[in-house]
Amino acid sequence: MIPLTYYLILSGIIFSIGIVGVTTSRNVLKILLSLELLLAASNLSFVSFSKFNGDYDGQLIVFFVILVAAAEVAVGLAIVVLMYRRLFTIQADELKELKW
Amino acid sequence: MSSYFFYFLAAILIFASVCVVLARNPLYNVLSLVLAIFSLSSLFILLEAYFVGIILLLVYAGAVLIFFLFMVMCLNLNAPALTSLQQSRFKILGWSAGLLMTSTIYFAIRSFQTAQDTNPSTLRGTIESIGKVLFTDYLLPFELTSLLLLIAIFGIVSLAQGAFNTGKEEAR
Repeated sequence: MIPLTYYLILSGIIFSIGIVGVTTSRNVLKILLSLELLLAASNLSFVSFSKFNGDYDGQLIVFFVILVAAAEVAVGLAIVVLMYRRLFTIQADELKELKW
Repeated sequence: MSSYFFYFLAAILIFASVCVVLARNPLYNVLSLVLAIFSLSSLFILLEAYFVGIILLLVYAGAVLIFFLFMVMCLNLNAPALTSLQQSRFKILGWSAGLLMTSTIYFAIRSFQTAQDTNPSTLRGTIESIGKVLFTDYLLPFELTSLLLLIAIFGIVSLAQGAFNTGKEEAR
């Protein structure tokens, strides 16, 4: 059987890849996709903790995270569409109206 | 036997998430995230969290990522807009942050050893057992989630209405 630490290290690797995606990309769609990776990594660690502790709480938290992520993606993509209609680009750097 | 499955699925998951970050075409980003979600859901099923694995597959791969795919196709990004997206000022900073994060997490978790590390419980996340906990201990959060989804719908409708109004002003 695979020990708990392997699952946690896998989850940490996926989380770091998501961090790299969020910080290095300027494409708003890619930033949202990398956010999904971050959520997926935390979900993996929750489920593995739930399995190894013998408690259902971790799996229920994952259920709620999935629901909240669905709402977040819907609102985020609506904002992306509005941004594309106003600025004709999806670069995150172009959103500078609140800069000063 | 299950350890081979774990290594296989972990390799697919890491490969797909690297593709999400590195692929140039937004379509490939979304499709590799679909692959990542498939392997993640298989890992959940390997951990005997059947209900959460299937919900992840249905909601993420079925609804959220198809929504992303619709957006990529609707926005109809042209080639110059995409090539100008590639350079980022924070590339070195981001990669070093990622490497630092990976090494920190790796060493922190390696030093962490508990008694239940290698002997998992016999817990099975079937629909029946999850449903029992969801509708007793977690009833209030579950109902509040419906309120959250309602608020999200309001937000999207008001955003879409604003877009419609500005479109009309531009047309005049």
